[in-house]
Amino acid sequence: MMDGCPGSRMQDFRKKEETKGDESGKRESQLGQWPIQLHLVSPMAPYYEKADVLLSADCVAYTVGDFHKDYLKGKSIAIACPKLDEGQDEYVEKIKSLIDDAKINTLTVMTMQVPCCAGLVAIARQALESAKRKIPIKSIVVSLQGGILSEDWV
Amino acid sequence: MEKYLNKGIKDLISEFPKVGDILNEYNIGCVPCSVGSCLLKDIVQIHNLSSGDEEELIARIARVIYPGRKIKIPKVQRKAKPKSKEMEPTRAIPRLHSGWLVDGERPSTLLRTSKVPSEIEGRSRTKARDSCGRNTERPEHIRGLKAEVLGRECIKYSPPLKRLVDEHILIKKWIRLIPTVIKNIDIESESDRRLIIDGMEFIKYYADGFHHAKEEDILFEYTDKNLDIIKAILQDHETARGHVRAIFEGLKTKDKESIIEHLNGYKDLLTEHIKKEDEILYPWIDRNLSTKQVGELFSKFDEAEEKIDKEVVEKCKRFVVEETQRIEKIKQEVLK
Repeated sequence: MMDGCPGSRMQDFRKKEETKGDESGKRESQLGQWPIQLHLVSPMAPYYEKADVLLSADCVAYTVGDFHKDYLKGKSIAIACPKLDEGQDEYVEKIKSLIDDAKINTLTVMTMQVPCCAGLVAIARQALESAKRKIPIKSIVVSLQGGILSEDWV
Repeated sequence: MEKYLNKGIKDLISEFPKVGDILNEYNIGCVPCSVGSCLLKDIVQIHNLSSGDEEELIARIARVIYPGRKIKIPKVQRKAKPKSKEMEPTRAIPRLHSGWLVDGERPSTLLRTSKVPSEIEGRSRTKARDSCGRNTERPEHIRGLKAEVLGRECIKYSPPLKRLVDEHILIKKWIRLIPTVIKNIDIESESDRRLIIDGMEFIKYYADGFHHAKEEDILFEYTDKNLDIIKAILQDHETARGHVRAIFEGLKTKDKESIIEHLNGYKDLLTEHIKKEDEILYPWIDRNLSTKQVGELFSKFDEAEEKIDKEVVEKCKRFVVEETQRIEKIKQEVLK
């Protein structure tokens, strides 16, 4: 049965019971920079220099419960939506500049499992192909309920 | 049984040769290892067996050691597996107390294999051939083992480790030519002598200077060089260098027997050595490297390669390609 675009199809996975587990105490943000949107960031910002960069699809941070602790910690970040954002050619140029000018160490691309999100990995690949330097790129795909479906070097 | 778990594998196999056969069935190839000082418990850990498979393996070994006796099977102690490598971005490779693997380490297998949708959904794959086109048929008693444990699925490496695996491909091409070279060797012929010299130069500049140097100077810095596995690998490198020296010496003295002996020695050693690295060492290192370390390794490899004369590397690659074509042509002519 066709249900339209899997990226915008309605799904209800509210939990029937309250989540168990220790919710006490405060969790520190692991964000170490501003801005974070890929159109707004400058590849020349000091926090990108030789950094391990996380390029995250917008929805990822809302989906993965331990996003800060497990994925953002120790990394600089840029976020984008490969489905809705305009000017994606600029994204390719910016990532290329992160690779060549900021000389980033690695790029980890976190996307949702919906097909349109794979566009962000394609943008990163395109940037890597056009860059003079080569760096390892890792792709992490997240399920709609926040699980990690795959974690592979591209 | 506890005392045998803490015994060096070479001693155990020489006392109970059947243990070697059992390990082979689980694709744990300790029998030809040149060092063999790893402890049985560490070997079981590094091969990432599931707890059920591990129990079965140890039970089978126990039956060999204590035939007809009921033995309590001890569990190899492990620490909890980390949720994600991203949790510890600067984590160093765990240090060993002894043997290959840190006490209780059970690293994530996330990066080991490419997950296909059926695996993501938790369904088992029962195809006769895997995604690499290799036969996945296996003896009934180990049919329940994960394919990745048996090394029959495509192992996914991080980019720097993948580079080393790709270099192995060229080295293996040369190794595959060695039997034909030996078969047709004429020590008096200038062209045959040239072929062996070129082969040795390929080993010296490519296999050793280009490939082993990256392992020894860079990669192993991310491990504890006192680990048995690293010692075994370094020992293999030294033994290989010894074979090359002996072959050069044989060329000088026109000692055909010695040349053949050491060419064979090199072939056997490197065949096993590469298998050990591709299937055991590199995946283990990969499982323990943080993302940051993968990036560092990648750029250090780049820097090291920048310092090496590119023309020499290209010449080495051309040598293997041209010799493969030449030998293939000879084989076809013989068949005609």
